[in-house]
Amino acid sequence: MANDYQGGGREQEMSLEVKGCRELQSEVLARDLCSLCGACVGMCPYLVAYRGRVVALDECNLPQGRCYVFCPRTSLDLDLLSHTVFGVAYAADELGTVQEIAMARARDEGIRSKAQFGGTVTALASFALDQGLIDSAVLTASDENTLPSGTLADNTAQIRACAGSNFVAAPTLAAFNRESGRDVQRIGVVATPCQTLALANMRASPLENRNNVDKLKLVIGLFCTWALRYEDFARFLADKLPLRQIVRFDIPPPPANIFQVFTDSTRIDIPLDQVRPFIRPACDVCIDMTAEFADISVGAAEGVQGWNTLIIRSNAGRELVEAARAKGVIETAPLPEQNLAHLKEASLLKKRRGLKKVIEITGSDQDLLYLKLTSEAVKGFLS
Amino acid sequence: MTSITAYEPGASQLLMGNEAIARGALEAGLGFACAYPGTPSSEIIGSLAEVAREMDIYVEWSVNEKVALEAAAAASFAGVRAIVAMKQNGLNVASDFLMTLNLTGTNAGLVLVLCDDPAALSSTNEQDSRLIAKWADLPLLEPATFQEAKDMTKWAFELSEEIKNVCLIRSVTRVSHARGDVRLGEPMPPSRAARFAPTTLGQFTPMFVPPKHSLLHQKLNKAREIFESSPFNWYTGPEKPELLIVTCGSGWYYSLEAVKTLGLESSVGILKLGTTWPLPEKLVQQHLARTDKVLVVEEVDPFLEGNLKELVGDTFSALGPLTFYGKRSGHLPSFGELDPDRVVGAVSSVLGRERVAVDPDYAKKAQALTGGLVQARMIGFCPGCPHRATLWSVKNALKLDGRGGFVTGDIGCYTMGLGPTGFFQLKTVQAMGSGTGLACGFGKLGKLGFSQPVLAVCGDSTFFHAAIPALINGVYNQSNFTLIILDNSATAMTGFQPHPGTGASALGEPAPKVDLEGLCGSLGVRVEVADPFDLQDTTHKLLDLIQDDGGVRVLISRRKCALVRAREEKAAYKVRVDSEKCLGESCGCARLCTRVFQCPGLVWDSDSQTARIDEVICSGCGVCADICPASAIIREVA
Amino acid sequence: MEGNDPLNVIVTGVGGQGNVLISQLMGRALVRAGYHVTIGETYGASQRGGPVMSHLRISRQAQYGPLIPQGQADVILGLEPVETLRVLGQYGNPGVTAITNSRPVYPLAVAIGTAHYPSVEEIVKALEELCSRAWLINATDVALDLGAPILANIVMVGALVGAGVLPLAAQEFELELQKSLPPDRLNLNLKAFRRGLAEAKAR
Repeated sequence: MANDYQGGGREQEMSLEVKGCRELQSEVLARDLCSLCGACVGMCPYLVAYRGRVVALDECNLPQGRCYVFCPRTSLDLDLLSHTVFGVAYAADELGTVQEIAMARARDEGIRSKAQFGGTVTALASFALDQGLIDSAVLTASDENTLPSGTLADNTAQIRACAGSNFVAAPTLAAFNRESGRDVQRIGVVATPCQTLALANMRASPLENRNNVDKLKLVIGLFCTWALRYEDFARFLADKLPLRQIVRFDIPPPPANIFQVFTDSTRIDIPLDQVRPFIRPACDVCIDMTAEFADISVGAAEGVQGWNTLIIRSNAGRELVEAARAKGVIETAPLPEQNLAHLKEASLLKKRRGLKKVIEITGSDQDLLYLKLTSEAVKGFLS
Repeated sequence: MTSITAYEPGASQLLMGNEAIARGALEAGLGFACAYPGTPSSEIIGSLAEVAREMDIYVEWSVNEKVALEAAAAASFAGVRAIVAMKQNGLNVASDFLMTLNLTGTNAGLVLVLCDDPAALSSTNEQDSRLIAKWADLPLLEPATFQEAKDMTKWAFELSEEIKNVCLIRSVTRVSHARGDVRLGEPMPPSRAARFAPTTLGQFTPMFVPPKHSLLHQKLNKAREIFESSPFNWYTGPEKPELLIVTCGSGWYYSLEAVKTLGLESSVGILKLGTTWPLPEKLVQQHLARTDKVLVVEEVDPFLEGNLKELVGDTFSALGPLTFYGKRSGHLPSFGELDPDRVVGAVSSVLGRERVAVDPDYAKKAQALTGGLVQARMIGFCPGCPHRATLWSVKNALKLDGRGGFVTGDIGCYTMGLGPTGFFQLKTVQAMGSGTGLACGFGKLGKLGFSQPVLAVCGDSTFFHAAIPALINGVYNQSNFTLIILDNSATAMTGFQPHPGTGASALGEPAPKVDLEGLCGSLGVRVEVADPFDLQDTTHKLLDLIQDDGGVRVLISRRKCALVRAREEKAAYKVRVDSEKCLGESCGCARLCTRVFQCPGLVWDSDSQTARIDEVICSGCGVCADICPASAIIREVA
Repeated sequence: MEGNDPLNVIVTGVGGQGNVLISQLMGRALVRAGYHVTIGETYGASQRGGPVMSHLRISRQAQYGPLIPQGQADVILGLEPVETLRVLGQYGNPGVTAITNSRPVYPLAVAIGTAHYPSVEEIVKALEELCSRAWLINATDVALDLGAPILANIVMVGALVGAGVLPLAAQEFELELQKSLPPDRLNLNLKAFRRGLAEAKAR
């Protein structure tokens, strides 16, 4: 399989800022911009993730650290990352680098029955592992109290066990940080947009210690509009039912405006407006809905029950999809025009909201906080 | 410690001031001694405990100073001579009883020794305990020499029986903890006819108070008359000195040396008072009449100075104009400790004489050659101290909890947890048991907007001394906090004296051991026990307790003091650093063990840029092995 | 008695080095020899890793106070080199004699890497320029050779007595050891003392 990850962008002008833990705390954690991607956690005894928060247990006094470089909220040079991941300039359009976009779903009934939508992610991750394209996968799973965290899977049963959407932010990349040093060689990660950006930062990092990111062979991105804060949300839910009874969540498409909580026997509908207060503030400044820096990105197919929207971005992604399709692991279909139009609209809307929030925080459209975007790009998104 | 019963007739013995006091009590036929440990007083009862079996007397470590004084008063009531010793803070605890005991009066001699700590070398306050003498209308003696420490104590029992009241002796660190040669007398056996037999109604009560108050004043006047001819007051110097130094206690040697250093033996006289309350007024006036300049040298407050001025206020017409110098005039500092150089400075300043300074060229050279090389040594927990481990887990648990929780501190070795050795966890410290008391208050601020977890720490000895009532208060008033009892089986800071939880008495004999879990459990609160060396378990338990809001919870963090352990067993582990694995300053470690954990057994080797274990200092507890992110610290069972 | 009266001796070291013990042993021996001795010490919190200083005032004529005035030390016996320098800075004078152990006890600041410990050269230079006589004794090495690092303090007393700066004869100190120590520790301590004597004689 062709590897798009050549060069790492190091020949380019380095515009990734390199500072340390103290600055990470003052610039991101103290300002509530942390998306809990987990990229800063699991590398040292200072930063840990605990119940939906990144906590600094002690003061690390190093002037430069991986935590700051990997964080997707300290410094995001989208052009550098686009070169690093895809070898092309950042397009600054609605959906990012796209080779092909379609609908997809798993062929296996078993996978589909456990899936949120079409089971495409589970099917492709399992397939990649079966075929030896990867020997391990980092995914997200929740415990009996709905607390999600990253987990390393090295067989398909474990991958299947992680099926289903998770609406609570999880520090999944902590698992990559912890496990990448072990005896695995080809790691796949199922990641939210902020996590894919962190992985891209990792690949573009100028620091000598890159956390074995060269072992990263596949990134499956997930569409994401926002994620919830665990602690408050869990307390809110616990008032309604014992957390251990919860089997999965869902948000049906508009105009339903509800948040669904499923147990084995029942379903509880909560008005979405009651859930919104638990959205992480970091999501308000995010401009990536479709995980633009993954090999493939997967989300719901709006209005098409049991199908996913699938975006193929890289050669590695295309080869995986074609092989899976040929083997009958997934099937694809053209994405309806209005779905594509709505997807672009939704993605652009998130970019606009994110940029506006950033500018509201800084008070100036010249200061984009952590984002490194050209002013044309900004103008393009905001118009 | 020297054995205070070692006696070579005709020879002098090198004794600590406290040992001399204890010896004086033995020579007076002491039968009963109690105290709670407190620097600088602990060796008084400590040295008596060492010889208690030999002398067949009763000695105990009481649970606190109030009980100690009460127990000793009982002995006095029953006709047995008794002594109690305490530091300044102990007096505060005992004062409630003392302020009725003075009105009650005593039977057999009862001597109360108060040891102050100027400059708070081992205390959380600076306090002049002599003021209690004025407050309680009790006679006060201040030993200035080691010989006096013994002789005064012996005589104090006689005085106490003469006036049938407590006699106070006040010492300071530089008398109590210094050593000097002392000529000894014969120890006397105690009375063994103890019997409590009041002969009049209310004899051993303060009733009725007003007439007993009047009686108290009469007793004090009797002491004053006796003091007029006391051999503990003396004058040395010319008939008509230019300057009269009036001094007491530790000020005596400093004043003597200052006069000698300045060569002013013919113009400066020194009145040394050993009986400082009530003042022997006639004697004092006689000496005040020698001159018009008086410098008062004393520690800690201008107590003697103020009393002299009061006296002069009453009698000034007879004395003529007098100018007083001392703490009030700023010639001596009103805080901190005295030393010979300060007294030299005061005398030369009063007399306008040039100060004899250290050779300035030498001083400059010394500063240049040594100034930059010598840094202050931070104090900290010993290697292997369980407090370091407990506070590490506390730090982590509070950070993880994330609600701005904090620790209220108390008195003991763990008080050092205010600083880097305890990761700055303790945020308050005042008196024995006040950590728990403060927690009671913080834990009730919920309705006023408070939402931070509160942790109180207190040692096992401190718990028995003072924290129990506060804990009960917390339970009864439903306060929201977690008490961590640091159970290291010792009263460590003061010298490893036993207490009700250690299972041994002052004489080293087996004693009933109070069951901490049982006691706390009987209050109906959740009690957990943890081994602080098991960092993960302790952190986990702490987090669980911190988040179990709504009432009082108790964690007993139990692990023997490292110094006590070292005397009883060999080290558990041999610890070393694998320098190949050590990450040192790199991202991922940033010298966590030496820079943050800071156990003295861990040394940063800047040549190899790795950590290493100092084998001489390491106590072999093995806790650092669990801190290291690279698993580079290896512990092997010793 | 030769030298000054009072003879002002400062024994300095770090808590745990047995500073207090040897001050007492020397003090008792001197009292038996007919001197007035006063020893001032700092106890309590300062022991937990902090410096410990004992001030000895030795006199034929009178008892003195427990604190030596600034700049008036006659002899400094250092169990730790930086502590010796610290004391020299405050109590030294052109006539002072300093005898110090060579083995450092690193302050926490040095152990954790935030401060530097002076080099042997810097220490020796300061000693030579500030003292009329100064000796560096490898007491800890001798003690380790005898099997217990804590014996360094007794080795240092040996060096002090051997140097002749204390009005105490070797036998007088050995008598004190006999009277003070339990029999199972006496031999080793006598060995340590005699090794210290030898170190001094060798200079």
